[in-house]
Amino acid sequence: MNIQFKKGVLELCVLVLLQKNDRYGYELVQKISEQIAISEGSVYPLLRRLKKEEYLTTYLQESREGPSRKYYCLTDQGRNYLKQLLDEWQQFSTGVNQLIKEGVHDE
Amino acid sequence: MNKRQFLHKLQAALNKLPEKEQKDILLDFEEHFQVGTGEEGKTEEEIAEALGSPQQIAKEMTAAYYLEQADQSSSAGNIFRAAWATVGLGFFNLVIVLGPFIALISVVFAGWVAAVAFMASLPLVLIEAVIYPELFLWFDFFLSIALLGVGLLLAIGMLYATRLISKGFVRYLHFNTKLVKGGLNHA
Repeated sequence: MNIQFKKGVLELCVLVLLQKNDRYGYELVQKISEQIAISEGSVYPLLRRLKKEEYLTTYLQESREGPSRKYYCLTDQGRNYLKQLLDEWQQFSTGVNQLIKEGVHDE
Repeated sequence: MNKRQFLHKLQAALNKLPEKEQKDILLDFEEHFQVGTGEEGKTEEEIAEALGSPQQIAKEMTAAYYLEQADQSSSAGNIFRAAWATVGLGFFNLVIVLGPFIALISVVFAGWVAAVAFMASLPLVLIEAVIYPELFLWFDFFLSIALLGVGLLLAIGMLYATRLISKGFVRYLHFNTKLVKGGLNHA
């Protein structure tokens, strides 16, 4: 898939994954790459940016296996932003699907 | 590439960032390796391969960092570093960042040169009057006073314009890193 395209969507994926529960970095990366082919390392710059823009906060939590892990958590601001992104995405994908449907019909 | 090599390359490529920032980033990746090898039973090589190029990751981290600096204070140095780091992200950015950047700098520079030149005309007329009193014209004198006024107004205008342009450009850079961020190599 097109690079530019995925980059915009990656942000949406991260925020959606954090909507219901806080997750640690590895978990986020795994969940995303199960569905979409990405360079996994690019999730981390994104996470740092989202944190600096105050859409996310982080905290450390002990794990049963080994050292503590950094968990990412959506802020209220992040939730609003996610809502906005979801609306945009829905509009966009309905539009594209409609065009595809019409295109397939014509042929 | 194993974990040690990956982290080493990443750290080397992050050398432009402050040490605290570097440490923070490296810790995140160390954790990533730890979870991957411990919980998932993957090899370090597999994990490093999936993460992608450490150089590309470092470029994105660096661009994000400078952009944030430029947000906090839009000094010429910060904007320049942010633009430079964004240009480094890839060929696409080279074209769409460097072009507007050079154009905007030229406009700002030209505006300031004009303002300074207008304001300099009065002192220059006076200097001329001292050196060659026989060439002195009252017309020059009054014209240069008028130009001084125009120059002052232009300078004030440029002050606002410069601020506006630098803010706008930082926003443009943001938009840009969002577009190109990720370095998703599987296109």
